[in-house]
Order: sequence, then C-alpha cells, then structure tokens
Amino acid sequence: MRQAIRRRLPQLQLAPAVAVLLVFFVIPLAMTFMWGFWPRTQFWMEPGFTLEAYNTFFSTGRVDVYLKSLRLSVISVILSLVLGYPVAYFVGRRLPEDVAFGLLFVFVLPFIISSVIRTLSWRFLLGRQGIINQTLVGIGIVNEPLDWLLFSEFSVILGLVTASLPFVIFPVWLSIRTIDDSLLEASADLGARPLTTFRRVTLPLSLPGVFAASIFVFVTAFGETAIPELLGGSGFSTVGTSITSVLGVLNYPLAAAISSISIATMLVLLGLWAYFFDLNNLVSMGGGS
Amino acid sequence: MPKRTATRREFATQGALAAAIATGLAGCAGDGDGDGGDGGDGGDGGDGGDGGDGGDGGDGETGVIEFGGIATVDAGDYSDFTEQTGWNVNFSSISNAPGELLSSMIAGGGREVYDILAPVGGIQPPLASEGLLQTIDTDRLENWEAQYDYWQTDEGRDFISHDGDIYGVPTVWQGDSVAYLPGETGEVTSYGALFDDEFAGKVAIEDNYTTAGQKTAMYLDYHDMEDIENPRNMSESEVEAVVDFLIEQKESGQFRTMWSGFENAVSLMAEGEVVVMDTWEPVVFSLRDQGIEAEYAVPEEGYLLWAMVDYLVDPETARADAHEEAVYDFLDWHLAGWYGAAITSQTGYMTNPSAMDYAAESDEFDEAEIRDIHEGVQEKFELGGTWQQRWPDEREAYEEHWQRLRNA
Repeated sequence: MRQAIRRRLPQLQLAPAVAVLLVFFVIPLAMTFMWGFWPRTQFWMEPGFTLEAYNTFFSTGRVDVYLKSLRLSVISVILSLVLGYPVAYFVGRRLPEDVAFGLLFVFVLPFIISSVIRTLSWRFLLGRQGIINQTLVGIGIVNEPLDWLLFSEFSVILGLVTASLPFVIFPVWLSIRTIDDSLLEASADLGARPLTTFRRVTLPLSLPGVFAASIFVFVTAFGETAIPELLGGSGFSTVGTSITSVLGVLNYPLAAAISSISIATMLVLLGLWAYFFDLNNLVSMGGGS
Repeated sequence: MPKRTATRREFATQGALAAAIATGLAGCAGDGDGDGGDGGDGGDGGDGGDGGDGGDGGDGETGVIEFGGIATVDAGDYSDFTEQTGWNVNFSSISNAPGELLSSMIAGGGREVYDILAPVGGIQPPLASEGLLQTIDTDRLENWEAQYDYWQTDEGRDFISHDGDIYGVPTVWQGDSVAYLPGETGEVTSYGALFDDEFAGKVAIEDNYTTAGQKTAMYLDYHDMEDIENPRNMSESEVEAVVDFLIEQKESGQFRTMWSGFENAVSLMAEGEVVVMDTWEPVVFSLRDQGIEAEYAVPEEGYLLWAMVDYLVDPETARADAHEEAVYDFLDWHLAGWYGAAITSQTGYMTNPSAMDYAAESDEFDEAEIRDIHEGVQEKFELGGTWQQRWPDEREAYEEHWQRLRNA
C-alpha cells in the first residue's frame, strides 16, 4: 500500500495544480464554448443548440475587429521582441549581476502605477501640444503638429509594445542567463566569430524565453481594452472592446462565441509555436543546460 | 410580463459565466458603453458591500442599509441620517451600464446584497419585469410632494416608472449638451458644432449610443436632415441612418476620438486635443478649475435630459418592518436638504429644492453656488429636449450599428 502510494506520489503531488486548472480554467472555458451555441432569452440564455451567435459574428463587422486585433497582436509580438531581445541580451550577458538587477528593477518601475495612468501619460508626449510635437515644431522639422502621433494605430502599437516590453525582457533574460558560459567558450575556441556564436548557440538556447515572451505579449495585446480606448482614436475596436460591447446588451451567447474564437485562435497559435519551435526540446534545453 | 425569480441553479451558472468570460480573455475589462451622464462612474460591475444587510432583525432594531450607487450619488458622510434614525449606511459602487447592472442583479445575487440601487434612471423596465424592484409607495415619502416635478411628462415618467407604477425616486437632475472652448470656437448654440467643418479633427463624441447617438438623432431630426419619429427610441432603420451620418463624419476626419470616462474627457479638452465635445457639464467645471475658459452650450435642439434615481430592491426574503421603514426613511432623506446640498456641492448637479433652503440656513454649504446650479438646471428642463433612452427597444440594432461606427 505504502509502496503504491510512493509510486503514485508524483501524480498525487500534481493533483492540487490539476484541480485548480480544472476548476478555474478548463471548466470555465468549456462552459464558454458551450454557451456560444445556446439560444438567447430576453435577459439570459437557455440550453440548446444554435449557430446564431456565430452567424452574427461572421455576418457583421466583428470579423474585421477580430482580424485587426490579430494583426495588432502579431505586430506587437514582433516589435516587442525586436526591442526587448537586445536589452535582455545586454543585461544578461554584458552587465555585472548587481547592475543587471538594478536595471531590471528600472524596467519594472512604470508598472507600479495604474495601467490607465501609464497609458494616459503617452497622451502628454504624443498629443498636439505634447513634448514630441512641440519639439518637432520648435526645431523646424515640421510646420504643424503631427496628428497621427496620437489617436492612431501607431499610438496603439506604441502603447501595446511599451506595455509588453518587461514581459519580453524578463523571460528572455532568464533564458539567456541560464546558458552555460562553457558552451560559448567552446564555440569561440572552435573558431566561431561572436556573431556566429550568437546565431548558432545563444539564440537557439534562448528560444524558450522567446517562446514564453511571445505568448505573454500576444495574449495581453489580443485582449487589451484600455490602450486602444485611450490611444486609438475614434472608436478603435479590439476583440476585448467588442466583447464588452455585446455584454452591454446582454448578448451572452455572442460574447461567449467571440471569446471561444479568441481562445481557439490562441490555442492554434500555441500549437503552431510548439510544433515549429519543438517545445519539448526547447524546454529541455532551457531547463537542462 | 410574468414575474420571474432566478433560481439558485441560475445564480451558479450565471456566476460561472462571468468567471468564464473573464478567464477567456485577459484584459477584457473595459468600462462598457451603456454609461450615461454620471460624470464619475465607479463602474466596477457592482458586487459591492459585504453582502450582509446586518439589519434585518425585528421591529425597532437598527442595522445597516446597503446602498449601491454610482460615485455621483455617494455623499460620503451619512452621519446625519444615522443620527436621525440610528441606521448606518454602507455605500458600494455599482456599474451604471444597464447590461452590467442587470447582470449583477440577476447573476450576481444583487437582491440579497442591496436595499437601494442608484444609477441613472430609465432602466426600471427590465429590472422591474424581472421582479428585482419594488414599486415605490410615494405616500410614505414626506418630501415627495416638494420635489421638482420635471418627471411629470410622458418621457419623464418613462424614466422612473413601468406599467404605470413608480419604481424610481429621482434624486439628481441634469440636462446634457456640448462643452466647448469659446476662445477657439466662439459661442456654440447647436449640436451642429460637432459636425462643423471648421472644427474638423478637433471634435470628440462620447463612445455611447445612448448619449452621442441620441444627440445626433436630435440634431438630424431638428434640422430635417433625417426623418426620425422619436430620437429617444429609434427604429432600426433610423439608427442605421444616424450611424451612417456619423460614419461619414468620422471618415472625413471630423472626430479626433471617441471618449469614455470622466478624466479622459477632461484631459482631451485640457490638452487642447479637442475644442468641441459632446460631454457632461462637470467636465466644464473641472476645466474652469484648471483655469481654462470653457462653456456648456445651450443647444437649439434641446438638452439630453436625465436623472439619477433610487430604485428599491425587492429582496428574496421580505425585509422586516423596521428595515423597510428605515429604507423608506433613507429614500426620504435623499429628498431632503442636507443630502441635496451635499451632492450639488460635490457634483454640480441639481438635486432637490430643499437643498437651497438648507444651504441658506446653515454655514456648511455655499448657498449662492447651490442656487446658481439649481437655477441653471431648472432652465435646462424648462427649455426642454428629449429624455435619455437607456434601454431602447431596438438596443441590439443600436449596439450593432455603433460597432459599425467604431470599426469605420
């Protein structure tokens, strides 16, 4: 009996985590998926099966909102990685540890204030009377303030990328920091130039961090509502604002359908990333090096 | 419509819905769009309070009245009421958006949480038809007859009643129009300023079909640009026509943005991003406090009229007589001088006529300021307009077409 328990100990230790995931993640998601097919009543919905919510989703402009959110999220992931990776590399490989920790703390600092206030602060920088426009006009680069700096797709992407940067820097920094120095030294001893070492050794070994960062940024950007509302201009819509909007008229099946499509999108992307990046191999590399 | 009582099973499944959708999409916590004219919405979806009424004992006992409202109606200090009755008040913030409010009442077990709900009125039809509210016995309110009677029109009655019964006690009154910076625009006397080429790119409208949509309908109807039978409760084709007009404006670059949230509205004008904006009057007060010259238009098309109301929640288990009496005392206290003066001072909105008398007799409040505000809002109601429609018959079409405007 005791031996049987001991044999099953690893599984038993997983039980609390599995239970939490089941109760707070799997079951709610399954119910969301199910509700997307339920018929509406005046204030609620009733068990049944109808494709009405999905028809509404595909027959109105909500598909365009979904595609726009998808595009913005992918752009945010790419730009966040382009900007965040070099910072993470520099902090992880080039700075002494105490300086690195200090610098990482600086990246966290803006996040101790409300995201709304942080987002609003962009308005002071990018607005017609903001510092950037005033400087550009002052030094004669432009004759009048640039309207597209604010209330545009540019400002939304800027807001999303800057809000996402710590979610790139930290996981990538962690993965780079765990790379064994001897691997890099071996590469150099074998005659590889620094760029080749980076491309053939550092970059592949940091992919688990890149993978995690991509997911963090994508999910955050896809569901974001405050940044598009505050920086996006006339009714800039995302999937998040679209769900909020239909909840306002108590269309729960449509809200559930949009959520289900969004979740399905994320799961498909997760699957694709796992497939193309060979997730199991990456995790073992990241954790076992 | 038959009275319907949500079952325990429904509470469980509906509560799970909120959790599911929240889990389903991180960050999906916007402030919605059903929000009308409160100038400072708590907007948290309204789970409020500690869930216990603490005062449902036998007759003669005292306890706590659970008061769920938007920030505008929170006096902050309820000691005057407590001194008079011995009952304490627990204020908690609720959402002003009809959909969120209905959800919190139906799915969130609101009947067991609140004694009184105080959002902007006009949403008693769905709340009452779901059996969530009690009718108000106005004979039990000593101050009822001394109130402003602006609700005694067909539209005003719609704002507080359902099927001929009164469900809402109006406590705060206002007429909305357009804020503007006169130094940039000159005097504005029409909603047409929102669509004037001269201010292209320097205009903002609220991201809300029950305010910006209705004002646009009033404008189009008044100037015979569209044939709209009733701007406050449009048919689907009328909503479509209004939104088509707004899309045309948006695509021509007329709007700098569509705003939501009080602070956002203030900052748009304070930062000089817009010079004309469909918004609440407290935005103008806030701009003036910052030393910015701002005005609130007297529109030829009339104001968008509204009132905040107290709804009496119908609990699952009947209140004890003492508790019910205290709740009515609280409603009556809302119609009396101290509360009226306090809310007018805090928000700049008109409350009840006793506020001016109370301010004159005490040193607590600035009588002149309160009188000015009350007289200003009275002029608005006398000039007239249309009452805001918070729960239009074709609300699905409103939402769908408004989404079209956002996407354009």
